[in-house]
Amino acid sequence: MTEAQTLSGPLAGLRILELADEKGQFCGKLMGDLGADVIKIEPPAGEATRRVGPFLGDVPHPERSLSFWYYNTSKRGITLNLETADGRQLFRRLAAAADVILETFPPGYLSSLGLGYEHLREQNPGLIMCALTPFGQTGPWRDYLTSDLLHMAAGGQMASCGYDEVDAPGAPPIAPGGGNAWHMGCHYAYIAIMAALVYRTVTGRGQYIDVSIHEACALTTEAAIPNYIYRHEVVRRQTGRHHAPRLTPRTQFRSKDGTYVTALVAGRLNPRYVKDLAELLDSYGMAGDLTDAKYQDPQVIEANRDHIIEELVANFIANLPAEEVYHAAQARGFTWGAVRAPEALVDDPHLHDRGFWKQVEHPELGRSFVYPGEAAIYNGSPWRISRRAPLIGEHNQDIFCGELGLSLPELVILAESRAI
Amino acid sequence: MSLPRALDGIRVVDFSWVRAGPWATRWLGALGAEIIKIEWPENERGRLPSSTTPQDVEVNLNTSGNFNDTNVNKRSLSLNVRTPKGLDIVKRLIAISDVVIENFSSRVLRNWGLGYEELCKVKPDIVYVSMSGYGHTGRNHHYTTFGPVAQAVSGLTYISGLPDKPPAGWGWSYMDDTGGMYGAMCVLTGLYHRNVTGQGQHIDQAQMIAGIPLTGPALLDFTVNGRRSRRDGFPPGNRAHWPGTPLVNNYRGPTVAPHNAYRTHPGDYNDWCVIVCHADEEWQRLVQVMGHPAWATAPKFATLAGRLQHQEEMDEGIETWSMTLGKYEVTERCQAAGVRALPVQSSEDRVEHDPQLGHRQMYREIEHPALGVRKIQNAPFKLSETPAINHLPSPLIGQHTREIVEDLLGFSHEELRVGYADGTFWPITRQRFAYMEEMLR
Repeated sequence: MTEAQTLSGPLAGLRILELADEKGQFCGKLMGDLGADVIKIEPPAGEATRRVGPFLGDVPHPERSLSFWYYNTSKRGITLNLETADGRQLFRRLAAAADVILETFPPGYLSSLGLGYEHLREQNPGLIMCALTPFGQTGPWRDYLTSDLLHMAAGGQMASCGYDEVDAPGAPPIAPGGGNAWHMGCHYAYIAIMAALVYRTVTGRGQYIDVSIHEACALTTEAAIPNYIYRHEVVRRQTGRHHAPRLTPRTQFRSKDGTYVTALVAGRLNPRYVKDLAELLDSYGMAGDLTDAKYQDPQVIEANRDHIIEELVANFIANLPAEEVYHAAQARGFTWGAVRAPEALVDDPHLHDRGFWKQVEHPELGRSFVYPGEAAIYNGSPWRISRRAPLIGEHNQDIFCGELGLSLPELVILAESRAI
Repeated sequence: MSLPRALDGIRVVDFSWVRAGPWATRWLGALGAEIIKIEWPENERGRLPSSTTPQDVEVNLNTSGNFNDTNVNKRSLSLNVRTPKGLDIVKRLIAISDVVIENFSSRVLRNWGLGYEELCKVKPDIVYVSMSGYGHTGRNHHYTTFGPVAQAVSGLTYISGLPDKPPAGWGWSYMDDTGGMYGAMCVLTGLYHRNVTGQGQHIDQAQMIAGIPLTGPALLDFTVNGRRSRRDGFPPGNRAHWPGTPLVNNYRGPTVAPHNAYRTHPGDYNDWCVIVCHADEEWQRLVQVMGHPAWATAPKFATLAGRLQHQEEMDEGIETWSMTLGKYEVTERCQAAGVRALPVQSSEDRVEHDPQLGHRQMYREIEHPALGVRKIQNAPFKLSETPAINHLPSPLIGQHTREIVEDLLGFSHEELRVGYADGTFWPITRQRFAYMEEMLR
């Protein structure tokens, strides 16, 4: 057993109660994979996110959602109906011993059940409660309905993403896929919760945190806001590269295998860069006239910028597979990359060197599957997936009987009355 | 009395530059940590080149708008760490700090003589967060990234765009933002662990790799079902499904229609509104909001299957209606009726027109010595006991060298002057800013 396997994650010992749908489930995963004991509390029929595809073998079933699997690793699962008195009573008992509650209900919902922070803190002054909601707890849009796409529109992502007119005439602004509005909200929620936890290690005091997904998105467009604040310029969309107030040279080139390479060339064309570029292209016999000594003159470079980018670089990439360009360029110090589809990452030897891919057992299926791993290696307290996503109510007996001391007959009564 | 802040008493030695690292420490500063930014003008990246300096202000090391927004809540120490004297000074600083953070290539800090083992000799429980492109281990650790390259290689670029077009990708360095958030997450997690166990550690974050977990469902569709993302109809633009292609989930939530962006009046560049209906009832409410146009009441649109199949015709019909209204008007009418709709908002829209961001005070003004009073982006979280507040403008380069060297490290004023004369605190051949002359009096 290596040293890393004997260590526990940095959040070991923390108890998190997660009442979260698609908006917050990733935040719970981030904490669970780092060692926290995350108890996912679902309605008796299971969280709605279990009905989001894709599904194992394309067979829709609440225990077969790959989306749910992915976003709920390293959590235990219980069911509770907070609309019943018994359900609320059990929740209060769990909250009394919890370090953090993460919830994504509409503003005011938990308070209306007598389960708001103002109620729960009385029995647990160290409690940290984080409400992660579309717009926060206040304001004119507080109760607006949303979705990932809606957030990417109002947050400014779409205004920055799309196409050059030449690539897709009349194209709309494009929202990148993959549920990234939820990711942005969850990253900031994690930061806020961890800050509150650090504060609590010093003072013992808990607090309430109000996180707005809309604000998290509105923050995540890099220089778009500074361009407006400092220069009153509004950026335009460009294919596969930075938004800008004015058209900039392209950075995405089609490769021989029909995919693309991101090659950051424009803005970097000084004599030394051009010399290195000439050597890279020449190693494949495609340098053209770039090895000519005249290219050590910055004025000549500037006058030939389009020739270098649109002819020499574009031609070089067009005649090679994207992966070959990527590695050949990086080996010579160029910050270029292949535009990969997600599945292309699975065979990446660098990721294997870092132990990135994890085998996760699904004992109920008698199978294990490959999951993506960690953004960062914690050398002193490792990240790991401690278990696959919970089945509906999988840990009801462990928690309600093992921890809260209920008997099995009492558990039956609670199930019959739909409290759990 | 001002409220306490979550990271009161935490000191961070910040070697980070360009954007991802500074975006991380910006938040640590807002949460109350003391951020000391170590800079050297001869190899500075982040202040220059600047494309966000106001038109009427000279471009120099202290006038980048983007730098100002990214580096609030920090102090700046100009120091040549590549000299024995500079290295000794920074070690003295590390000895009284909690965190070291940097976003250089994988071997830079070690080559300076500041690898993790060395840091531990100076401060045994140091939390060291490195934010490189590919991590400090693995065969490609020496590869380099900027946001767009991290996005391309991690799979994020590919999942944005229209079918049969080049990837649209991300219109900015999303992985600088996200890499920065992970940097802050690693620091906070490492600090929590240290406070509980007394142990520091090296946390090895990788910008490219941090992008991969953001495509989880697509990856599981491949590792579990064998389905590739490189397929007909993917990525599906703004839709959940592209008509005429295999009907599968495309990893943006439930497969529904309408799910698109629609032009609004008067049809300018950012006049678009997105509308999404998650259920038949939401569609019926949209039909009502649109005033029951004849096309929309056709039976083929009454079911989800019909709406997915006839998306082109449906989207044309919706846009005919949306073009009669402004994007905020479409939003308000839809939301009042219980229909999911929000406007595409430009930067100007967010700063000037968004009533929610206005209500929540998303942009509050801070005065900067060279840029004047400017709006700064605030935290998206409100902590009841320890609010995160932007309390300092970004530092001028080397602005706080004297107070850090003399007040914090205990050097004499004469030693400061000698350090300027011998090139430790500022290059001998480089002109000093006026505030430096003031500092040396």
